[in-house]
Amino acid sequence: MNSFITATGSYLPARVVSNEELAAKLGLTSEQIFKSSGIKQRHWASPGETTSGLGVAALRNSRVSTEEIDYLILGTMTSDRFIPGSAPGVQATLNLRDVPCLDIRQACCNTLYGLQLANALVTCGLATNVAVCLSEVQSAFLRLSPQAGTTSMLFGDGAAALVVSSQGEAGALEIVDVHLATDGKYVDDLGIRAPGSEFNGRAEPQDYEPRMNGQSVILQASRRMLSACQTILDRNSLSIDDVSWVVPHQANANLLTQLARGLKLKDVSRVVSVIENTGNTSSASMGIALDTLRRSGDLKQGEFLLMPAFAAGFTWGAALCRVTGI
Amino acid sequence: MSLPQPVIEFLNNNAATLGVPQVAVDLDLFKSGALDSFALVDFVIVLEEHCGIRVPDAEIIPANFRTIEDIGRYVSSRRLES
Repeated sequence: MNSFITATGSYLPARVVSNEELAAKLGLTSEQIFKSSGIKQRHWASPGETTSGLGVAALRNSRVSTEEIDYLILGTMTSDRFIPGSAPGVQATLNLRDVPCLDIRQACCNTLYGLQLANALVTCGLATNVAVCLSEVQSAFLRLSPQAGTTSMLFGDGAAALVVSSQGEAGALEIVDVHLATDGKYVDDLGIRAPGSEFNGRAEPQDYEPRMNGQSVILQASRRMLSACQTILDRNSLSIDDVSWVVPHQANANLLTQLARGLKLKDVSRVVSVIENTGNTSSASMGIALDTLRRSGDLKQGEFLLMPAFAAGFTWGAALCRVTGI
Repeated sequence: MSLPQPVIEFLNNNAATLGVPQVAVDLDLFKSGALDSFALVDFVIVLEEHCGIRVPDAEIIPANFRTIEDIGRYVSSRRLES
């Protein structure tokens, strides 16, 4: 028995920040930003817009009936508050029933972790309709200086919502499989150090900002996402030729190109990319790409979707979904 | 040492897509655009396949692959170690 993604929604804040607006502050040109990332613009939250607020907007855009939700998972790196997480804020704003609310913090793999958890909750009978919100307001944590230029140029704000249910109607996405893995020895190559107990009393200002060892991230992301795709295809007796769409975490357009090359995809247009207009929205990026694909009307019954991601930790994985028929 | 033809072809093909003329042995591959952080990962796969070496993750850094001469030296050192 599998569960189904029965509804999707997404939301981007109204404020658009172009490369031209950012470039000088970051000590870069707009062309350099585009060439090294494939990003032309990103959306940033305005003062007062919160992670839970963006999550609420995405869930509303999914048009799911909120009375039907009996479990809420919220994935973010940029919670409204340190404690509690942001899921209670979504629950309160939407007047959901007194349902369990769980924040997860697996960064750019939050969609995969959320789907695996939701699938488990539904298939074991603990829930019937799980809302998985993925939301980030990262702009508040970015340093706009040349020292942080190649990191700060990447990130955008945004949210997505996926509803995982026990019953799937035509057009729903059956969650066929989710594969996840972690290697914690890379903990310092990507992430934000503080606030955290390891740095209590000795955190430097830069410990509160994103840190990234670019070469390590590129190397490991390339290898791990590819191996995750191969693992999930092998254990479902499929090949890449059976996959109609690749919906990856939108980290960097160059990484998506490299992934397509590594997978030996015959048609690279089957890699769904929204990064040019959104930047890297971390937790939300895969959900935004998936929502964009569903709304395009291009999905056909029986098609397989392969969804790989890589995140701080390092943790990585892939999901396999199939478009259900009538 | 001279590098296998497929390795040189990879660099030339990558350079050509960026409008860089054929790579010379002392050309800085990163400054010229023939390699970047992403292409380096692909390049190492080609190098491992055609030079019969294994490049440890920690050694996949631009300093080891800045010019064709550097790459030749690096490949020789890996072969000596293995």
